[in-house]
Amino acid sequence: MRAVENLSTISYRPPTERQFVWRIVDFVVAGIFIYAGALKMLDPVQFAHDTKNYQILPWTVSVALAFYLPWLEMFCGFGLIFRFFYRGAISILTVLIAVFTLATAAAKVRGLDITCGCFGHASQHWSFPAHLATNLGILAALLALWFSNRLARRM
Amino acid sequence: MKLSLTRQALVLAALSLLPAVGEAIYFRGKISWQSPIPPSEMVSVDQARAWGGNVIWVDARPDAEFARDHVPGAVSLNEDRWNELLPQFLAAWSPGKKVVVYCSTESCDLAREAAERLRKEAQIPEVFVLEGGWEAWLKKNR
Repeated sequence: MRAVENLSTISYRPPTERQFVWRIVDFVVAGIFIYAGALKMLDPVQFAHDTKNYQILPWTVSVALAFYLPWLEMFCGFGLIFRFFYRGAISILTVLIAVFTLATAAAKVRGLDITCGCFGHASQHWSFPAHLATNLGILAALLALWFSNRLARRM
Repeated sequence: MKLSLTRQALVLAALSLLPAVGEAIYFRGKISWQSPIPPSEMVSVDQARAWGGNVIWVDARPDAEFARDHVPGAVSLNEDRWNELLPQFLAAWSPGKKVVVYCSTESCDLAREAAERLRKEAQIPEVFVLEGGWEAWLKKNR
């Protein structure tokens, strides 16, 4: 009787329009990070130099991050798409984009003329406002995904 | 079994480590962990001076800094006017001559980028970056 009762409480709910929209946002944000990660993964030497140009970290740490961060971005991107370790992926990506944004802003304040390195050398000719706007847009999308996920889990 | 947020993040961080280490091994010959410029591509002021007349000095700094002061006989070749200044550099260079590129300080990246462009685009084999940059030259010549 209990098994039947349990079965009767299970019901399939088709995704709502809202959930469908959030999945699109998942895919767009994931796509951005997978693309950015792949570009940097293909040329870690240049990414190490881009990181060094911020004049925050020692060279050895820049090299280590140049090898590590692209893979972290890509794994988290796939986490968003395939929904494995979803919350962990969103958290990591949010921290990464927040740090990138702060570092770019700090470099601007210090008068350093550098490329962000966010999209490898593909973004070398972007202006500072363009970099900032892109990063803030991605950050906003990640925060929105985080809160929508929390809300969905409570319901 | 659902993992907590922290454990999810730790698992993702750990998963990313494996391919990163593999890539570091793959690229080990193309990057030095000690210095942004491989030691084989760096030269000190004394070493460059020892080459005497067999050296072309290249100043990778912006025009205004070059105009203010530069290594005697140096050719200006900066990123802003690369295409315009390259012919003048090529006219001064001949096979067998060593090229020493400098920018303002050790941490400045302009010299490294100019040196890389000379090797790749102009196919010049012996291109070096001056250790310490213009600052190092000034210290030796005060």
